[in-house]
Amino acid sequence: MAVALKTQNLPPIKLIRNVPKEEYYVPGHRTCAGCGPALQYKLVAKAAGPNTIFLGPTGCMYVANASYLCTPYTVPWMHTQITNGGAVASGIEAAYRVLLRKGKREGELPNIIVMAGDGGSVDIGLQAMSAMMYRGHDALFICYDNEAYTNTGIQTSPTTPYGSNTTFTPPGSAIPEGKKLFPKDPPQLVIGGHPAVKYVATASVAYPVDLINKVRKALNVQGPTFLHIHCPCPKGWKFDAAKTIEVARLAIETGMWNMYEWENGEYRYQFKPKRYKPVREYLKLQGRFAHLADVHVAKLQAFVDAKVKAPGIPVETPVPTPPVH
Amino acid sequence: MFNIPKDKEVPLGCVTPAPVTEQPMMITGNWREYRPVLEPEKCDLCMNCVVFCPDACFQLDEAEEMVVLNEKYCKGCNICINECATNALTEAYELDFEDGVVRLETPF
Amino acid sequence: MPREMMLSGCAASAQAAKMAQVEVICSYPIRPYTAIMMELAKMVANGELDAEFVHGEGEHAQLSVVLGAAAAGARALTGSSGVGVTYAFETYSPIAGGRIPLQMMIADRALDPPGDFGSEHTDAMSCRDQGWLMGWAENPQEAFDNCLINYRVGEDHRVLLPQFVCQDGYFVSHMPGKVVLPDQGQVDEFLPPYNLPHPLDPKRPVSHGPQIRPDQGTIMDLQRAQAMLDAPAVIREVIDDFNRIFGRNYSPFVEEYMTDDAEMAFFIMGAHTMTARHAVRHLRSQGVKIGLVKLRFVRPWPTQEVAEALSKFKAVGVVETSTSYGGAMRGGNLLHEVRASLYELPQRPLTTSFMAGLGGEMVPLKEFYYMADILSKAVKEGKTRKTVYWVGFEAEE
Repeated sequence: MAVALKTQNLPPIKLIRNVPKEEYYVPGHRTCAGCGPALQYKLVAKAAGPNTIFLGPTGCMYVANASYLCTPYTVPWMHTQITNGGAVASGIEAAYRVLLRKGKREGELPNIIVMAGDGGSVDIGLQAMSAMMYRGHDALFICYDNEAYTNTGIQTSPTTPYGSNTTFTPPGSAIPEGKKLFPKDPPQLVIGGHPAVKYVATASVAYPVDLINKVRKALNVQGPTFLHIHCPCPKGWKFDAAKTIEVARLAIETGMWNMYEWENGEYRYQFKPKRYKPVREYLKLQGRFAHLADVHVAKLQAFVDAKVKAPGIPVETPVPTPPVH
Repeated sequence: MFNIPKDKEVPLGCVTPAPVTEQPMMITGNWREYRPVLEPEKCDLCMNCVVFCPDACFQLDEAEEMVVLNEKYCKGCNICINECATNALTEAYELDFEDGVVRLETPF
Repeated sequence: MPREMMLSGCAASAQAAKMAQVEVICSYPIRPYTAIMMELAKMVANGELDAEFVHGEGEHAQLSVVLGAAAAGARALTGSSGVGVTYAFETYSPIAGGRIPLQMMIADRALDPPGDFGSEHTDAMSCRDQGWLMGWAENPQEAFDNCLINYRVGEDHRVLLPQFVCQDGYFVSHMPGKVVLPDQGQVDEFLPPYNLPHPLDPKRPVSHGPQIRPDQGTIMDLQRAQAMLDAPAVIREVIDDFNRIFGRNYSPFVEEYMTDDAEMAFFIMGAHTMTARHAVRHLRSQGVKIGLVKLRFVRPWPTQEVAEALSKFKAVGVVETSTSYGGAMRGGNLLHEVRASLYELPQRPLTTSFMAGLGGEMVPLKEFYYMADILSKAVKEGKTRKTVYWVGFEAEE
């Protein structure tokens, strides 16, 4: 007997005052003051509502939220290894399919959301994420991107921007710019090779209404979906905790972060400035870029200039210069 | 048979109850150095403080038509002050308050 | 009516999984266990088995998929061989510590380097200390039975542990043997539906696996240790029930063969037990007082039963199909545990270990005769000359 697994139609909201009041990610967690990833978690949980299961691969949103025998999740939540968020989600979805079919569970397939950091999404977690997308499981994979392995003490990840000072890419006389590589492009990894995926979007904590609507759209789609959410990290990026939203907004205004949706092969852009601000305005707020010389800033500006011509489409990045010995 | 002290008990397989409205086992209000203070007459309920708080500490009291701070968990990041559309929020040094949160009996 | 069929270990395992009505299966190909998944894939494809068959992207993912499935409330099955077993290693502790009673069927294969298709217990034995039940089948019938027995024990709320259900690659996995397939009604009587205490369900929200304080870590470990302490009583109960419902005659932990008045014995598990039985029968006809003790569970290790069974011999030869490089005995894994089991006895038998069947080699009858000869000498001399013999490669004797 065929069972309609998901018929929900979570409605979009228009205004910031329409953001749902109910909290499913409640106060009482150990994230740093001003934490961007925590803010997106709160907003995602509001968007998804009560019929939801969260998977928490190891990362800040595991370690700082689920601490000392307590968690802030009012909906079911499960820790996964940093490696296997996509695979555990696949198993839960498969279980619900068979349990609903056999009448062992009632109702609809819950929203299954993997809340993975950049490492758990596109570095060590890439294989499991990709396989979940390939197999077409009805689950939402979120990469909350704070652009480093921050929980372990701010080490570079594949999404750490060029020129960042991290504890694995410290600037020094031989390597003055710190991080030499340009970042991976998570949404493009998903869009480029996973025919089962029909909806991918980027979002930012600076635009909560847009974020909530994208989460809801992703959850209404039957099948795998992917969101890449920009989440400034005051501690890792070295800026004043009060400026999390300001930094997130500047990332979009300078073109460092691009807001778009990809739906059934079509791109739609949001918050695309008519005129981009210089990248330097974004960099100067953050201690992780404080060491950069003009030549490095110019290199980053050139990368952004190429990128914003067609946001979402990967651009050629400079090959890093070989180390000087 | 083993003797496990009550304060060290761990539920089977480390499966814990989900919280309902807050997680009182992780009180974070004592982290705060500055407290956001609201001037109600300046507030036009833009909701930025409610929406942008990573700790869900500002909530709208619909009956009273005003926003209310949950001081028990506010970490004092000051995002609310930075984002307030009408400058209705200002920071005040926590220890200047009579009820200033200095410490908890047990940290967690 | 129960039917008798000729089935390989893999085919028998697949039949058992079908009768256990597994609900989520996760596959990844590696020889020789693959044949289990090929059988199950056919059953799902032709509608014989109503289960979700998920193609994992590797063994690590296989274990992760079934972890999610079993945590959500479905009976789940996976399996692997050789380096596949070790590739998934990260997942074993979280699954056991989270008390998720899923099953992994292992058809043994030697670990690299270099590639070797042969059977060797080292793959599974390397994972034995993570809090999983673990035991070996001697033949396809036991491969079938052990699937059901392990699900029942593992899912019992007094245990709640995952299970490594092992069989020797090729010797069991691919050699057809006589298997009595029971009625579905018998299986249903024996194995209640899967029932996890705290499944992931939005109607009853719980959090699985928040971090703990270091001082609570011992308690988590203690829980797993306690489950292993509680498991033997449950195993005895389950084996009794199994014997009653299926008309079998298993003893729970160790089985003895021709041990009456024996002065010495082989201690062995898995496929080579069959050859060892032939050797014992032949040696007995020659007047050699030898018997055989077969181990059915490696975890929980049946310390008391092993001690009792072996205490009556003058010499015991532990036949090892796994390696423990640099271990206390410089040989395999079993001798460590056998000697530890015997330690408290007032009168201990002489023990020695025979490295045999490594890399998937046959252990022919003549090698068992060679081992028996060494044991006879030990009995006569009142001591063993070596603790480890690499059978077929020793310069002397």
